[in-house]
Amino acid sequence: MRSVLKTSWRAALLPVVVIVVAQIAATATQLESDSLASPIDIVAAFFAVLTDGSLLRATADTLMAAFCGCVLGVGAGSLIGIVLGLFRLADDSLDLTIELLRPVPVVALIPVVMMLLGFGARMEIVIIALGLLWPSIVLARAAVREVEPRLMEVSAVLMLGFSARLTKIVLPAIVPQLFMSLKLAAGYALVVAVTVEITANPFGLGYGIMMAQQALRPAEMFAYLLWIGAIGWLISLLLNAAQRRVLPAFAKGDAR
Amino acid sequence: MRTSSLRKVFLGLLGLAVFILVWKLITDAKLVSPIFFPSPERTLASLIKGLSGGALLGQTLETVQRMLLGWLLASLVGIMLGALIGVSRRARAFIAPTLELLRPLPASAMIPIAIAFLGFSNPMVLVVIAFGALWPMLLATIHGFAAMEPRLYEVSAVLGLTRLQTIWKLALPSAMPMILASLRLGLTISLILAIVGEMLASRDGLGQSILLASRSFRSADLFAGIVILGAIGLVGSRLLSLAEARLLRWQATR
Amino acid sequence: MAVTQAPFHAGEFDRADPVPRSVQPRIRIRDVTLSYGALQIIGGISVDIAPGETISVIGPSGCGKTTLLRMLAGLAKPTSGSVELDGSVLAGPNRSVAIVFQDYGKALLPWRTAAGNVSLALEARGCPARERPEIIRDLLDKIGLGRHADKYPSEMSGGMQQRLQIARCLAQEPKVLLMDEPFGALDAMTRQALQDEVLSLVAMTGATMVFVTHDLEEAIYLGDRIVCLQPNPGRVGRMVDVRLARPRDQLMTREDPEFLRLRRELYDLIKDDHQ
Repeated sequence: MRSVLKTSWRAALLPVVVIVVAQIAATATQLESDSLASPIDIVAAFFAVLTDGSLLRATADTLMAAFCGCVLGVGAGSLIGIVLGLFRLADDSLDLTIELLRPVPVVALIPVVMMLLGFGARMEIVIIALGLLWPSIVLARAAVREVEPRLMEVSAVLMLGFSARLTKIVLPAIVPQLFMSLKLAAGYALVVAVTVEITANPFGLGYGIMMAQQALRPAEMFAYLLWIGAIGWLISLLLNAAQRRVLPAFAKGDAR
Repeated sequence: MRTSSLRKVFLGLLGLAVFILVWKLITDAKLVSPIFFPSPERTLASLIKGLSGGALLGQTLETVQRMLLGWLLASLVGIMLGALIGVSRRARAFIAPTLELLRPLPASAMIPIAIAFLGFSNPMVLVVIAFGALWPMLLATIHGFAAMEPRLYEVSAVLGLTRLQTIWKLALPSAMPMILASLRLGLTISLILAIVGEMLASRDGLGQSILLASRSFRSADLFAGIVILGAIGLVGSRLLSLAEARLLRWQATR
Repeated sequence: MAVTQAPFHAGEFDRADPVPRSVQPRIRIRDVTLSYGALQIIGGISVDIAPGETISVIGPSGCGKTTLLRMLAGLAKPTSGSVELDGSVLAGPNRSVAIVFQDYGKALLPWRTAAGNVSLALEARGCPARERPEIIRDLLDKIGLGRHADKYPSEMSGGMQQRLQIARCLAQEPKVLLMDEPFGALDAMTRQALQDEVLSLVAMTGATMVFVTHDLEEAIYLGDRIVCLQPNPGRVGRMVDVRLARPRDQLMTREDPEFLRLRRELYDLIKDDHQ
C-alpha cells in the first residue's frame, strides 16, 4: 500500500509541477498570446466547448469513424491474412505485391480517396481501414502460421473439412493474436483519424483543434489537444483491461 | 530449399503481373473514370516524365531530405534523452509515467500547436516530424535500459567500470535490439509526418505535389507520386533491416 | 613475520602443508552478519584466508553460501562485522577481487565476441588499446578458447561460455578469485576438465580462491580447506583441512584414502544439517 502511494506520488509530481509552473508564469507575465494559454484558461475553454456540445459532437464523429475504419480494416485484413496463412500458394503469389504496397504511407492515399469520395465520414473510414489493412494481414498471417503444427496434424487425422478446420482449430487458436491486432489497430485508428481530420477532412476532433488554432484561440487548442490525448490514453487503458479480463493468460506477455 | 525459393520468386512475380493486369483491365473497361483512376501505362509514363527532367525528382529529394533530417534529429534526441532517463531508476520513477501518459497522443495533433508557434514554415514541419518520431526511440531506449540484465550491472561493478563506460559498453548495446526496432518505426512516422507537413504548410515536396495533382484531377501524376512514396518507404525499411541484421548478428535467434 | 619468510613461488609451494597462519591474511572475514529486516541470513561468520589459499565453501541450500561470496565481492554489505582485503576494509566491489557467476549466460555480453568479452575487463582497468590483443590472445589460449576468439557467446557451449567468464576474470589480474557454483550447470566431463584448468591457473597466478559448491567431491578436490556452513542463520559449522598432495589428479586424488575419508566425514556433516 505504501509503495503504491510512493509510486503514484512520484508519477504525479512532474505533471503537477509543469502545470503549476505554467500557471505561475502565465499569471506573472499577464500572458496575452496567440499560441500559449494558462492552465486555468485551458480548463475554462475545455468546459466552454464541452457545454456548447461542439467537443462531444467532434468526439463522436472521430470515434465513430475510427471505430468503423477499425472494424473494416482489421476484419478484411485478418480475413486475407488467415487465407494467406492457410494456403501456401496464395501466400507465395501475393507476398511480393503486399511487400511492395505495404510501405505506401497511408496519408499518401488521402488525396486519392478525397478525389473519389469527397470529404466526410466515408472518406475517413476508408483511409483508416486502408491504413489498418496491411498490419492486420501480416499479424493474422503470422498467427495462423504459428498455430501448433500438432493441432494441424490432429485436424488432418480427424479429416476435418475446411470450414471445420477453420472454426474448430485455426480461429480459436489465433484469437489472442487477433485481439492483440485489434488492440494495436484501435490506437492506430485514432492516430490516422486525427491526422486525416487535421490534414483534409473538415470533421471531428482534428478539425476542431485546427480551427481553434486558425481562430487564434490557444486555450481552446490546448483543451482539444489534452482531450485527444486523454481519449487515446483511455482507449489503451480500456483495451488493456479488456485484454486482462478476456485473455488473462495472454495479458502477461504484454506486461511492459 | 533452392527450388522452393525459386518457386516463391516465380509466384511472386506472377502475382505482381496479375495485380497490374487486373488494374489495367479495370481502367481499360472504364469501371472507374480515368479522371480518378489512371491506367498503369499512364502512371508509368508520368513517373518517367516526372523523374527525367520533370518536377518529381526535386520534390522527391525535398521530401527525403525532410524525412531524414527530422528522423535524425528525433533519433539523436530520443536516444540521448532515453539514456539519461533510463540509466537512473529514480529518473524513471518520476518521468516515465508522464511519458507513458503522452504516448497515445497522436503526433499529428501537435501540428496545430507547432503552427501556432512557428507558422506555416519549414522549421514547423521539421519540428513536427522530430517530435512525432521521437516517442518510439525515447520509450524504447528507456525500456531497453530498464530491461538490462541485472547480472550485467554486477559485472560492471566488479570490473570497476565507470558510469559512462557502463552506459556506453553495457546498457546501450543491450538496449540496441529495441532501439533499432524503434528507429524503423520512427522512419515510417517521419515519412508520414513529412507528407502531412508538406500538404498542410504547402512546402515543396511530394506531399504537396500529390495534393495539388488530386485537386486538379491529374490522377496519373498523383499515382506516380504515391508510387515514389511507397518506394521511399520500402527502401528506408530495407536499409534499416540490413543495418539491423548486421548490428544484431550476435543474437542467437537470427 | 611475513618478511622473514623465504620467498616462495606459488607453483613450488606445497599446499598440502597447512598455510602458515603468521602471514597477514589476504581476506579476513570478521564476525560478519547479514539480515533482511527481521530475517537473519548470516549470523556471525569469521574466517581468515591466507594468500594463495583455496577455500571451498559447502553447505545445504539456504545456508548463505552465495550471500557470503557476494559480500566478499563487495556486492552485498554486511549488516555488522567487516570483510578485510589485505588489512583494509572492503567498502564495495574492488578490481582485485574477481567473481565467476554461475549463470554465465547472463554474465557475458551477448553482443561481444569472446575476445571482446575479455577486452571489457582490460578496458575497465584502463589497459592501453595497443596492448589488449596480445593479453587477450594469451588468456584465451590459456583457457583453451584460442581458436574461438571471434565467436559470440550464443555460438558457444555452456562449458566454453564458463571458460570465457573465467578468462575475463583473469584479465582483471585479481588477487582473489571468487567462484559461485561455476560448474553447477555443466556436464560431468566438462566439469572435471574445468576443475583441473582452474587449479593450474590458480597455481600459475598465485591467486587466492574461494569456491562455493554443493558438490562435496568438488570441494575436496579443489580446496586446501573446506568451510562447512550451517543454515538458519548461516554460520560456520566446521572447518576441515584437506591434506591431499598437489598437483591433484582426477583419478589418483579421488582414490586416495584421505579423499574418501573426507568425503565420508563431510557427507555425515551435511546429512545432519538436512535432518
